[in-house]
Amino acid sequence: MKIAARDAATGPVLEIVGDLDYGTAHELREHVGRTALRPGQCLVLDLSRLEFCDSSGITALIAARNHAAAARAEVALAGVPDNTLRILRIVGLDQVFALHPDAQSAVDARSAPTPRV
Amino acid sequence: MTFPLGDAPEPSEAQDAASTDAAFTALLEDSVDDLYESAPCGYLSTLMDGTIAKINATLLGRLGLERRDVVGHQRFADLLTVGGKLYHETHFAPLLQMKGAISGIALEMKKADGGRIPVLVSSVVKHGGEGEPLLIRTTVFDACDRRAYEEELQRRKQEAERAHRQAEADRARLQEALAALQQSLLPASLPAVPGVETATYYHTAAPDRLGGDFYDLFALDGERWAFFLGDVCGKGPEAAAVTSLTRYTLRAAALHDPDPVTALTTLNTVLHERCTGGDPRYCTAIFGILTPDPETGRAAVEVASGGHPPALVIRADGGTDFLPTPGGLLVGALPEASFTSATTTLGPGDTLLLYTDGLTEARTGPDRAELYGDRALLDFVAGHAGASPQGMVEALTGLLESLGDGVDDDTALLAVGVPRTLASSRPATDHRR
Repeated sequence: MKIAARDAATGPVLEIVGDLDYGTAHELREHVGRTALRPGQCLVLDLSRLEFCDSSGITALIAARNHAAAARAEVALAGVPDNTLRILRIVGLDQVFALHPDAQSAVDARSAPTPRV
Repeated sequence: MTFPLGDAPEPSEAQDAASTDAAFTALLEDSVDDLYESAPCGYLSTLMDGTIAKINATLLGRLGLERRDVVGHQRFADLLTVGGKLYHETHFAPLLQMKGAISGIALEMKKADGGRIPVLVSSVVKHGGEGEPLLIRTTVFDACDRRAYEEELQRRKQEAERAHRQAEADRARLQEALAALQQSLLPASLPAVPGVETATYYHTAAPDRLGGDFYDLFALDGERWAFFLGDVCGKGPEAAAVTSLTRYTLRAAALHDPDPVTALTTLNTVLHERCTGGDPRYCTAIFGILTPDPETGRAAVEVASGGHPPALVIRADGGTDFLPTPGGLLVGALPEASFTSATTTLGPGDTLLLYTDGLTEARTGPDRAELYGDRALLDFVAGHAGASPQGMVEALTGLLESLGDGVDDDTALLAVGVPRTLASSRPATDHRR
């Protein structure tokens, strides 16, 4: 597994390439743990080149959500492959994570001007 | 540095050879007796009956004996320890007599001061001109060092064997502890539920590891029974601790309030509070309440699922479908989790099947892209419609065995059904007015 990080206007974007499983999930968790988030930012996890995700991978995604929540930031998943989406649906996480077809639309969705409360 | 040839005067070859010969001659003449007496090993010669005729100083010194007490008075066997004597009599002497020579036999000799010396003995029979045996020549090598070495080897071997036995005992104890712990995670047997038949299957992917799957079924009161089945994220002792917490929380929660959604919500709170820092500990679970109706012979079922694959309902007539509980979230992952419930009624011959993803996620191809899947499971159980819960679990056990190494996760099955024969033979239906 490889992680490519970049910064978008809305916050960090991490692209995860390869297998996210028992052997590699800790790398994502460590990487996310090191990623600084400011309140209101959105951490986008781009999964479009994710090849496999097991329960350890799901745990890493939940850990990313907890990390963002602690920083009062949010998490969005982009380009979730069908097999992983199927698992997310079974475990109910499709309602917990904002899902976007790709990283750009995730960023655009957040960049759109939101009415101030 | 080099020695250029011809620089130094060379002694003539003849002169050189002569001086060497002289040195050898002197050495030989001087030492024939001395060589025998002071040789670096013991020598002795005995008559054919064993009486010592000649013995060298080396051996006498080693044994602490005087020549006059030995020669003509003692036999070779007299110099040996009791054990050595016995061996000499039963093996050494007969073999020597038969073969005429024997070498490297380990014996023990006794010293004048009572000590013992391990020795290696070789003997050869000297024959006369007519081929008749005359005497026996024997060499005695001190084997103290060798014996010490052998003893050291033996000691180390015993130590290694002891360590091995200890390791085996430790391993057995650990296995016992693991088995006891595993038993605390699963009920030894399910209680009998009147008018309902149950069957279970449990398989851990690794025999020496605690499984992360769990199930249970227990009475709430005289009329209702609670059951659950689930899968804790992760494996090993940490997962087992979560499994244990899950099992007892669900049991306690069900006794307090048997509503399936409430039970899972309580579990979510307990598991989420336990997970500290960035290490989420969660499980997926289906929790249900079973209410058999003795009047109708049917059993009402209400289930709620938290992130677990949906239960299957296999009707006696072959109609088979999932019992969807959409939106149920993994239990314990997030502070707030919503669960939805679903209900059904089991009639005679109907079976409710709960399973963990060890079955549906079993690999059917060379890589992890081809999995057994929900659809295949649905078709498989539909093909066994009408089977008793036990029959259904047996069929699925056969299926799991046929998937072989493809099943690389723990697998648990819990089947609950209303027996076809029992129900149809019951007078229950006669009560309908």
